[in-house]
Amino acid sequence: MKKIILSVLGHDRPGILAAVSELLLVNGCNIENASQTILQSVFGSLLLVTLPEDLSPDTLRSRMSATLSGMALDIFIKEFPSSLVQEPVVQPTEAFILTAFGPDQPGLVSAVSRCVANHGINISNLRAVFKGGNEPGDNVMIFEVDIPVGVDLKQVNNDLDKIAVRLNLTINLQHRGIFNAMNRI
Amino acid sequence: MLSEREIITTLDMIKREHLDLRTVTIGINLFDCVSDDLNRFIRRIRTRIESLAGNLVEICDRIGGKYGIPVENKRISISPMAAIGAPFSARELVQVAKALDDSARATGIDFIGGFTALVEKGMATGDLALIEAIPEALAATRHVCASVNVASTRAGINMDAILRMGKTVKMAAELTAAADGLAAAKLVVFANIPQDIPFMAGAYLGIGEPDAVINVGVSGPGVVKKAVDRLLESEPDADLGRISEVIKQTAARVTRAGELIGREVAKSLGVRFGVVDLSLAPTPTVGDSVGEIFQSMGLSSIGVPGSTAALALLNDAVKKGGAFASSHVGGLSGAFIPVSEDLNIAAAAAAGVLSLEKLEAMTSVCSVGLDMIALPGDTTAEMLAAIIADEMAIGVINKKTTAARLIPAPGKKAGDRVYFGGLLGEGPVLAVNSGTSENRFVRYGGRIPAPIQSLFN
Repeated sequence: MKKIILSVLGHDRPGILAAVSELLLVNGCNIENASQTILQSVFGSLLLVTLPEDLSPDTLRSRMSATLSGMALDIFIKEFPSSLVQEPVVQPTEAFILTAFGPDQPGLVSAVSRCVANHGINISNLRAVFKGGNEPGDNVMIFEVDIPVGVDLKQVNNDLDKIAVRLNLTINLQHRGIFNAMNRI
Repeated sequence: MLSEREIITTLDMIKREHLDLRTVTIGINLFDCVSDDLNRFIRRIRTRIESLAGNLVEICDRIGGKYGIPVENKRISISPMAAIGAPFSARELVQVAKALDDSARATGIDFIGGFTALVEKGMATGDLALIEAIPEALAATRHVCASVNVASTRAGINMDAILRMGKTVKMAAELTAAADGLAAAKLVVFANIPQDIPFMAGAYLGIGEPDAVINVGVSGPGVVKKAVDRLLESEPDADLGRISEVIKQTAARVTRAGELIGREVAKSLGVRFGVVDLSLAPTPTVGDSVGEIFQSMGLSSIGVPGSTAALALLNDAVKKGGAFASSHVGGLSGAFIPVSEDLNIAAAAAAGVLSLEKLEAMTSVCSVGLDMIALPGDTTAEMLAAIIADEMAIGVINKKTTAARLIPAPGKKAGDRVYFGGLLGEGPVLAVNSGTSENRFVRYGGRIPAPIQSLFN
């Protein structure tokens, strides 16, 4: 069974997901996973879709272009490589939340993400809002990261501290458990 | 997925509102260390304490770092010394106290509690020796804390012990006159003492407890104050029911943080987790004050009319939140009102808004009692005993813990200031009304009988 990754970008408004999902339905496709987000006024969605045997990705792409042309959407379809269908080797990790507050300036996301990458830490989710001004809650990056068991947290924190000083940020790296404990019953 | 609001609110509580794990206290049972040979006894208890608590500081710092919540203090509580050291004289028990101080230094902890006697119904030989040893033991050590339980709802009030404690408090203060009577700040007299308090100076390990146990004390008066402030900003018409609800929810969050870290510390040390003691315990720091909560609730200062009702609301909401959040809540759990340890309360006392008598009234609804109260140096032992007796009566009749930590500051008179330093803070010397007059009542001695358990009115 063929799988595709389908991404949809466009100016946010009611009906985008309805139009896309209806078209997939009439073409016999099945949505396996979906995620969507809105950044300021831009809608973005990523869908993992299985196609019926008799439908090629190219055919679907041309049908979507024809049907949705009036909606000014950027649609991208890529065949899902079968190598990725296999389960990846799972390394034991622990979930942490990395937060960074501070004045907006170029290079914040890249500095933090490079630092954690150097320690083999995977970012599983990122939310960043920069509204300007000095209110910490208005300029925040929240990285949800998976830290392999055995990584030296002290060393990670030392490296993050250097970034914090250089970019005038307040960076905290805390085990996710504390947020769960204090917010979830 | 955690929401941004959940993450930022949690961070604010920790970073801006002084939420911390005030203490992780390891309780160590020393009953099987007993000996009638002083050197052997000291060797055994030091070996036991230092082997069990040797890694406590390092483990607490590592786990606190992992969760981003500092463990401010690491402490040890031991089996009541009057029981395990019963064969020894007062002089020998002072040697034991010094050995405990050495163990505290060796393990890097800040206080060790359990220089304790339980005498609510009578004083045995070991109890008498321990009480006699207390002044010098506390004056000669830095880290040792003492407590004596002189009353309980089941046994009544041991007035002989109370008179003796009046003299003991006085002597402890006099032996540390140069430090404003500091030794008395490490001594608490209790009614209905809990067996699992992690906070000092009242911590000891009860005789119904296991070989070793981790109890944690979580604090956060600043967190509660900010939660009340936020509520009243967003809902200016909120009533006291809403305020209680918000305090309850906040207390539950704080308790959960404490239990998470306490359990992990216990696991790392290979000992059992005991209880979370959720107490609003202030420190002499701006924004870490119980007194400020009263102002957030609409009172001009702690001590004005309305303060007892406000404290009743606060204490009850904290207990309810804690009890909801964890199945193992213990210790004192509630709101402390220690005068010198809270900038706001000390200021109210210095301004004359908060008197000793009002504090006593408030202790009928707080979680502990007359706490860290400096009194004039010429307050007699009898008068100290009378103040203690009043406080014990409140606890015994109301089936709650009460305590007295009184410091008759040598050479100081009402209105002067005392300086204890660190967490013990500083504050004014409070007046004792009619404090120097004859007090025959406390000299009759004997026991005030245990109260009737029916006819509630």
